[in-house]
Amino acid sequence: MSEPSDTLTFEFNGQPVNARAGDTVASALYRSGQRIFTRSFKYHRPRGLLCLSGKCPNCLMNVDGTPNVRTCMTPVRAGMRVTHQNAYPSLEHDWLAVVQRFDWLMPVGWYYKTMTNPRMWHAAEPFVRKIAGLGTPPSLDNVSGNYEHSYRHAEVAIIGGGPAGLKSAIELATKGEQVTLIDDQPGLGGHLRFSKNADNSLAELIAQIQKHANIQVLQGCYCFGLYEGNLLGIVQPRPNPQAAEQLIHLRAGRVVVATGAYESPLLFPNNDLVGVMLSTAVQRLIHLHGIAPGKVAVVIARSPLEEPVVADLRAAGIQVAAMVAPESVVKALGNKRVKGLVTRDARYSCDLLVVCGHRIPDAGLLNQAGARLQWDGKKGAFIPADFPANISAVGEVTGESLVAPGPLPPERDPANKRAFVCLCSDVSSQDLVDAIDEGFDHIETLKRYTTTTMGPCQGRMCQLPAIGVCARQTSRSMAETGVTTSRPPNPGVTLGALAGARHHPTRRTPMHYEHDELGAVWLDMGEWKRPRYYQAQKGANERSCVEEEYRAVRERVGLIDVSTLGKLDLKGRDVGMLLDKIYAGRLSDLRPGRVRYGVLCDEAGIMLDDGTVSRLADDHFFVTTTTGNLDFVHQWMKWWLVGTGWDVYITNLTAGLAAVNLAGPNAREVLAQLTDCDLSTKAFPYMACRSAPVAGVEAILMRIGFVGETGWEIHFPAESGPDLWKALLEAGRKFAIRPFGVEAQRLLRLEKRHVIVGVDSDALTNPFEAGMAWAPKLDKEDFIGRAALQRLAGQQPQQKLAGFIMNEDVLPEDGAAIMVNGQLAGRVTSVRFSPLKQKAIGLAWVPAEKAHEGAEVDVRVGGRLARAKITEQTFYDPEGARLRT
Amino acid sequence: MSFLVRCPQCGNRSVYEFRFGGEVKQRPAPGAPESDWVNYTYTKVNEAGVQREWWFHRSGCRQWFQALRNTVTNEVQDSFFPEEST
Repeated sequence: MSEPSDTLTFEFNGQPVNARAGDTVASALYRSGQRIFTRSFKYHRPRGLLCLSGKCPNCLMNVDGTPNVRTCMTPVRAGMRVTHQNAYPSLEHDWLAVVQRFDWLMPVGWYYKTMTNPRMWHAAEPFVRKIAGLGTPPSLDNVSGNYEHSYRHAEVAIIGGGPAGLKSAIELATKGEQVTLIDDQPGLGGHLRFSKNADNSLAELIAQIQKHANIQVLQGCYCFGLYEGNLLGIVQPRPNPQAAEQLIHLRAGRVVVATGAYESPLLFPNNDLVGVMLSTAVQRLIHLHGIAPGKVAVVIARSPLEEPVVADLRAAGIQVAAMVAPESVVKALGNKRVKGLVTRDARYSCDLLVVCGHRIPDAGLLNQAGARLQWDGKKGAFIPADFPANISAVGEVTGESLVAPGPLPPERDPANKRAFVCLCSDVSSQDLVDAIDEGFDHIETLKRYTTTTMGPCQGRMCQLPAIGVCARQTSRSMAETGVTTSRPPNPGVTLGALAGARHHPTRRTPMHYEHDELGAVWLDMGEWKRPRYYQAQKGANERSCVEEEYRAVRERVGLIDVSTLGKLDLKGRDVGMLLDKIYAGRLSDLRPGRVRYGVLCDEAGIMLDDGTVSRLADDHFFVTTTTGNLDFVHQWMKWWLVGTGWDVYITNLTAGLAAVNLAGPNAREVLAQLTDCDLSTKAFPYMACRSAPVAGVEAILMRIGFVGETGWEIHFPAESGPDLWKALLEAGRKFAIRPFGVEAQRLLRLEKRHVIVGVDSDALTNPFEAGMAWAPKLDKEDFIGRAALQRLAGQQPQQKLAGFIMNEDVLPEDGAAIMVNGQLAGRVTSVRFSPLKQKAIGLAWVPAEKAHEGAEVDVRVGGRLARAKITEQTFYDPEGARLRT
Repeated sequence: MSFLVRCPQCGNRSVYEFRFGGEVKQRPAPGAPESDWVNYTYTKVNEAGVQREWWFHRSGCRQWFQALRNTVTNEVQDSFFPEEST
């Protein structure tokens, strides 16, 4: 027995509890006299320590705010706060235990039989939620630390730190392989840690492991999944004082599974009483924690192999009243705690019932990886076989040295309401028998109907007994009955560990902090932050701010940051050929110094993106894409280049260039102050581009007009972003220039009926429906989508994107329904209040027969319908005169 | 989904580094019959076995390449740049 050394204190249900170094929460509580650790899921039966190895549901508690923590696997830390779960008012006196008296009301498949209409469930849910269950989720302000992720590699990963895993690690590491050893227990050694017969070889093995440069040990970490490509999911609790858990993604060249075998309980009435413990749990308490878990014990065991347990009990000062064979057991006696055992021949009093259960190879990970589990009657276990490549197993998990403790399937009728197969959700052998009688006689349907093997223990305690009951009741062999499939995560993983730290990259334009100073109200566009509008005065509302920005652009001059546009620089002899192939329009004949609008379609003729294409020189083009589609367009271009051998070099300049749009009747006067470039319409007409310095910064100037006014889009090096932005605002000061945001831009373009691909169009929109029949140049010999567009060109679209203006003074929302004769007929894609029309205007999908001047449709606004008139007119400057002056 | 894809340039990497580009298909000639285009645009073989696919190494060298992947086991048997394949 270990000697008490230094002590520490933690809190259980608000009361201080002393613990020794080396204690787990469960062992410290047990030493302090706690016997009931949980109340069961459904009947609130008292439950105590059973397996003490993290494989059963009997010790789950809330630790520092985290629910359902396996306290037998959690080392004690000073000051930790532990509380019980699912019992009121206390574990000792749980009023909800009255539920047990009504078990006749809750037969197997209770939900399926009673909750036959939704109202029933709504009525029952509040009660069911209170009565049944485990822990409660932590609130956001009560989380126990950060959750981290790490990514690691190993040549060989060995799962399990028992003798087989240790030997294997040393052997492989000595051959020069980089080994990562993962062990879920507090210390290496597996069953040698608590077995009296262990010689000195364990200490020697551990010393060798610790000094070996090629071995890395992940102690106290559990592997919950073995995924394809030998990816292991591993949780490390408390990797550092700030973190609650770390999820390790370990990619291994080879995996050696050395998870050993664990003990599972036997089936008899009252087998779940507090004080009924597995023999390995008793050995753990005695040898690891120096605790004698009773005064008088009865041992249920069959084979002489279990004699060491009896010796251990005696050495710990526990009187062994009897050793009985499993098949002679009638029932255990007791209410809250075990008081005795009745066998066919006798009746014993005891306060500890030691169960030498079945030893089961812990082969769940192997099963996940694709290995089959094959019944072996002699060993009394399902043994893994047919391992996938690069996965192997050593030690007891392979079935080595296992001997069946009793016959399976059982010889006796197992049906009893208090013989629990599944401790996690209180499924008795009677429930299984009833379910089989109801027709759920396949092990997989039986599992789903009764939820046995589906609780926190993930079948470790109940799988073999359940298969045994199923086999006996259906007169099949164990092999014929088969085994349920193991799936990750096993054991369970916290949602925090899976979610991990939140990494949301944010992209800021070079002028971000200028906008901040100007009172920008931000809008998230993908990863980007863009000013939605500028709150010039505190408290000003959005509509008035947007309208002021709008008026500045229409009447004077405005400046918007468009740095988020995708910017691709294309150089080479064959760029024109590439652009002709992927854009629906013709671009190869674009003259240097000119800009053209381009629409990009897929092979089905669906519009994917749009943007401008500027030709800076014969072999040099500059292409812009929408903010969200840059990566797609870039990859699309590269894809269509594969195998062509064309001379095209694409450089993504999105982050390297800042861009602004200066627009409004005074834009020319503002810009002229900063550049020598001739900005007159004659020298620099609409849809032209030039390279010239602006305020001393080398820039590309494009005369385009998304917002419908005379304007220039200026692209220049990102590092000059703030300087040029400030210079333009300064130059515009005498014209009362205003920076404008995305909202004003959207309103301005809507008055011009400019479509935003992805806002006004969706994943089924072709250019003909969107009113852009002019965009595809079908006389080109070939381009992506030509075949489909040619077909579509000859068809009458069923719906069209049409402009509308509301008849009355109401403002529908984007996405509002369009109704025709009371039937849903389309939707609004964009709608804003137009200061020009003094009404709400917008774009909407309407039936083709309604897409003509003067047609009327209804728009749903705030739960009622309002009339809107369809118009084919551009709302503002239909001739485009303002753009061209 | 955690299998490895071998980029011809960067070697074995987690599949999360890649963008899947679909089955490799032969694009019809410009004047091909409509049925060829419909077939090319809308249908997939969806082979249960080894199929030739496009992959893009998004978080790596940013190159498109082709791979022979067994869709049942997710084993990538071979990968190559199409212009270098025979």
